[in-house]
Amino acid sequence: MSETETIAAISTPPGEGGIGIIRISGDQALAVGAKILRQRSGNPVTTWPERKVRLGYVVTAEDDPIDEVIYFYFKKNRSYTGEDVLEIQGHGGYQNLKRILSTILQAGARAAEPGEFTQRAFLNGRLDLAQAEAVIDLIRSRTDLAQRIALNQLRGSLSGVIKEQEDKLLALLVPVEGALDFPEDEIPDLERSKAQKELQAIRSNVANLLAGAERGIILRDAATVVIAGRPNVGKSSLLNQLLGEERAIVTPIPGTTRDFVSEIIDLEGVPIRLVDTAGVRASVDPVEKAGVEKAYRLMAEADLILVIFDAATPLTTEDRELITFLAEKQPIIVLNKTDLPVKLPTSFFQTALPGAKIRSISALTGEGIPALKAEIRQAIMGTGGSEEQPVLVTRIRHQEALKEALGLLDLVAQGLEEQLSEDLLAVNLRAALEALGRITGRSVSDEIIKEIFSQFCIGK
Amino acid sequence: MQQNYEVAVIGAGHAGCEAANATAKMGFKTLLLTINFNNIAFMPCNPSIGGPGKGTLVREVDALGGLIGRNTDRCHLQMRALNTQKGPAVQALRAQADKQFYQQSMQNYLEVQPLITIRQGEVIALEQLTDHWRLTLSTGIRYEVGAVVIATGTFLRGQVHIGSLKFPSGPQGQHPAIAFGENLEAQGVKFKRFKTGTPARVRKRSLNFNAMVEQPGDRLDHGFSFWLPWEQREPVSCWLTYTNQKTHELIRKNLHLAPMYCGAITGTGTRYCPAIENKVVNFPQRERHQVFIEPEGLTTDEMYVAGLSSSLPEEIQDQFLRTVPGLEAVEIVRPGYAIEYDVIGPEQLLTSLQIRGWLGVFCAGQINGTSGYEEAAAQGIIAGINAGLYLRGETPFVLQRNEAYIGVLIDDLVTKENDEPYRIMTSRAEFRLSLRQDNADLRLTDYGHRFNLLSAEEYDRFQKKRENITKKMAFLADHHLSPGSAEAQRLQDKTGIKIQQKTSLKQLLRKPEMKTAELWALFAPEQGSPLEDEVVENQIKYEGYLDREAKMAARLAKMEEKKLPDDIDYNLVPNLSSEAREKLKRFQPETLGQAGRISGISPADLSTLLIWITRGKRDE
Ligand SMILES: Cc1cc2nc3c(=O)[nH]c(=O)nc-3n(C[C@H](O)[C@H](O)[C@H](O)COP(=O)(O)OP(=O)(O)OC[C@H]3O[C@@H](n4cnc5c(N)ncnc54)[C@H](O)[C@@H]3O)c2cc1C
Ligand SMILES: Nc1nc2c(ncn2[C@@H]2O[C@H](COP(=O)(O)OP(=O)(O)OP(=O)(O)O)[C@@H](O)[C@H]2O)c(=O)[nH]1
Ligand SMILES: [Mg+2]
Repeated sequence: MSETETIAAISTPPGEGGIGIIRISGDQALAVGAKILRQRSGNPVTTWPERKVRLGYVVTAEDDPIDEVIYFYFKKNRSYTGEDVLEIQGHGGYQNLKRILSTILQAGARAAEPGEFTQRAFLNGRLDLAQAEAVIDLIRSRTDLAQRIALNQLRGSLSGVIKEQEDKLLALLVPVEGALDFPEDEIPDLERSKAQKELQAIRSNVANLLAGAERGIILRDAATVVIAGRPNVGKSSLLNQLLGEERAIVTPIPGTTRDFVSEIIDLEGVPIRLVDTAGVRASVDPVEKAGVEKAYRLMAEADLILVIFDAATPLTTEDRELITFLAEKQPIIVLNKTDLPVKLPTSFFQTALPGAKIRSISALTGEGIPALKAEIRQAIMGTGGSEEQPVLVTRIRHQEALKEALGLLDLVAQGLEEQLSEDLLAVNLRAALEALGRITGRSVSDEIIKEIFSQFCIGK
Repeated sequence: MQQNYEVAVIGAGHAGCEAANATAKMGFKTLLLTINFNNIAFMPCNPSIGGPGKGTLVREVDALGGLIGRNTDRCHLQMRALNTQKGPAVQALRAQADKQFYQQSMQNYLEVQPLITIRQGEVIALEQLTDHWRLTLSTGIRYEVGAVVIATGTFLRGQVHIGSLKFPSGPQGQHPAIAFGENLEAQGVKFKRFKTGTPARVRKRSLNFNAMVEQPGDRLDHGFSFWLPWEQREPVSCWLTYTNQKTHELIRKNLHLAPMYCGAITGTGTRYCPAIENKVVNFPQRERHQVFIEPEGLTTDEMYVAGLSSSLPEEIQDQFLRTVPGLEAVEIVRPGYAIEYDVIGPEQLLTSLQIRGWLGVFCAGQINGTSGYEEAAAQGIIAGINAGLYLRGETPFVLQRNEAYIGVLIDDLVTKENDEPYRIMTSRAEFRLSLRQDNADLRLTDYGHRFNLLSAEEYDRFQKKRENITKKMAFLADHHLSPGSAEAQRLQDKTGIKIQQKTSLKQLLRKPEMKTAELWALFAPEQGSPLEDEVVENQIKYEGYLDREAKMAARLAKMEEKKLPDDIDYNLVPNLSSEAREKLKRFQPETLGQAGRISGISPADLSTLLIWITRGKRDE
């Protein structure tokens, strides 16, 4: 059997407790481990006793420690995947795990595709059936979520930018491929200096994307949670509570928030874009009216809506209108101001929006906030633990894809300079396109052929 | 009257000839049927063989022990090396062949084999008996056989169009196979219609070559075949001229008379071999198109007009030909035409080229939706081998995408919905650097030997070559030049390269300007053999790329090993996306890897499938 590629992924769902697990699987697992792990003494790790807990550090290529970790080694045929597996447990924060994974990828492993661990385990006959089915269901629900997120991204400017780079690369590649396949068909020769210019433009765009990836990663993949309700129920107060800082203006005057306020929060490892909206009511003030319209639009586009009611006052007509509007949207109902005498029974909502989750809180005292956070997380991520890398890693895969594309574009640039033959230029250009295609889901091989025939008159 | 053979090959075109050669070499008594005995391995179109991708197919068939490479070398009028400046992955030979000689020579290759019987006769029916098949000819003769290869080309319900004139016909006025098409359809084979076309043939003495540019052949030290000793001939030239605005106007004015534009033709045509009508319509901005005038043979005055394929009325063809410089006084020998014919859809073929559900019946060549002699030959040899393996009760021979262009071709045929005749292209191959023409024998000759398609002497020669290559690779890796040594000095005198640190010859060869021959001259004068050196050089210069491809191939291999049983009811597999379910039902892939290449099937669908087939096994 030929050597399999070594893959790595974060194996715990984001924010699950204080510990995060990263697994490396494949023939090179120990080789990768030796590069990134150090003993507590700082010395390189030289022995790998099987299934023994070891304490050590993960270090960067420059030998700077990133995290104190424990690690185990599972030998081929006795591991989850049936291959050599190195398991590293680090501190559970998202940023931290991501850094560890990046180091592992730099040391020669490849980010696993969704389902790849399971696939390997299966191919090596290592997986119990019931377990496997559970895992696959989970991958499904996660990839469905990932797909929903990806779909949002497609509308977003970021993947628009990547698509543009793909189009430009395709435009570069098509005449090269065309001339290779049809040398007798008057396809103009590659003008290397012109191609170099176009390539540099693409390269710098990809490099910019990559530079912004650290921040952009969260922005792109965050699920949107919209806080809605009539004026003065405490929406802005809740935003501030969840953020842990006084971000939005809070006053006793109804109609304080006019335009929406949006912030990224890290909800125990799950990135979320939290949006505070203008209180919903009929208004003649054009500014407030625009704000209310915007609020409705935001609700329509949200991944999840938190609808706030003032538990200390009886239901108003505005409240009722909102309930009707949200009937189909599976919001979480938040009863605020429960520090005051409660005049709104939860039983009302159980009949008005059957099945809806209801949480009582006080945005003033912080009462009920942890439970609400858990509820939000659950609604976004679904339930269950996972053997597979969750959505988070998808983003690292994107970053890795960009990195790979960049490296390949550099090879092309160098090749153009050094008179590298055109078949090799084409191979590298194609590989760069494939790398970007892992982000946009686009497969270009048929497009190349189609473009050759539509741009050049082939056929002697 | 009834006779028995072990294999019947229906069709003696480029696919059928290879199939019959393979089954006979494997030891099976083979009947080869053709509608016209004079037209064995007939080339209905361009008298040209090879080119990027296609030339590699020729080498691959040759490496397996097929005939197309040898026969082309024997019958070539000129040979050119293409893409010599563009890198090893796309370098290719292209030959002009003498058509008549090509047919006679191919006939001879087959006739000298005692196990092959060639017969003229039109098959009109194929029927299944208990464990074998019965063929019926139009004359009433019957044969019973164990396995069948159908390689009927463009003959099945062929319909020729020239302007508004249309009539049932095979290519070039041959008798079409109407009854057989109907017979197969009645038994459940589903056909679609494809279309292809060919230009007029013209009389050499009516042409003015002074108005054209001569295209001489190259002088080369090898041809296609790994086995036949190469003989450089005096190359016969082709000639280049161009259309002009007058040509285009004439065509535009008469477009309504073209069967494709007035709706008479419904079959789908090709994008890479378009009629001049299509070129003028699709590329209106082009001021001229190339026209190559190519010899059809040494013993005929006919010339082929490449680039002016047309199904306009003959009169219009005559008019527009005359607008082309050098063709002012042209005399047409035969007009160009378009032909529509039956093609079997991808969902009915297995990778062995067997028709799904028809045990022992294989299809090869244009009937499978391809176009081209090379593509036909490639499928022919595989269909032949698999017919033989079927008779032996062994598992079919399937080449993978990383092993051969043949693998790419057949895998594409069974997993892709083609809406036009399929032609191989280097851009279809994801393992382009591994699938070169120079290493086709290293990739495939062991298989050819296993199936007995090569003589013992040929295989010995191959093993010797392989050993030499290994030795040369080792020598280059082990031989080092040290700074200041006499050898380093010799290198510097000769090439100007100064050795700064201990360097192996292998490292030296990685320099783009460095050639193997140069190293031999300097350091190992007894070495040599350009064909071996070509492999050595490519293997070393492109090592990094080849490693990358090898990694990718290893990743695919496991998926390829996972077989999908052919009785999966995809309706019962939970959790598949509806698109995946529909595609899987239609294409019924044979392996998980193949399933993954069908468009619309995601990794999650694949995992679901994987679990499903595993569960199936446990339930049993
Ligand atoms: C008009 C035309 C234009 C073409 N243009 C091009 C081109 O530009 N470029 C290109 O690459 N390719 C072109 N081709 C395609 C190329 O000629 C074919 O791909 C190639 O010849 C196919 O080989 P084959 O073995 O599948 O079929 P063929 O070579 O067509 O051979 C079919 C064989 O089957 C026999 N046969 C058929 N039916 C029966 C029957 N019922 N009983 C017994 N025998 C039967 C015939 O006698 C014949 O021997 C063209 C073909 C035609 C007809
Ligand atoms: N007692 C009590 N008061 C609260 C609570 N939450 C918010 N308030 C008060 O309610 C008032 C309105 O709070 P905001 O957060 O501005 O309400 P809002 O829904 O954003 O209002 P608009 O932006 O005007 O629509 C402020 O005076 C808050 O101090 C709570 O849980 N308990
Ligand atoms: Mg507010």
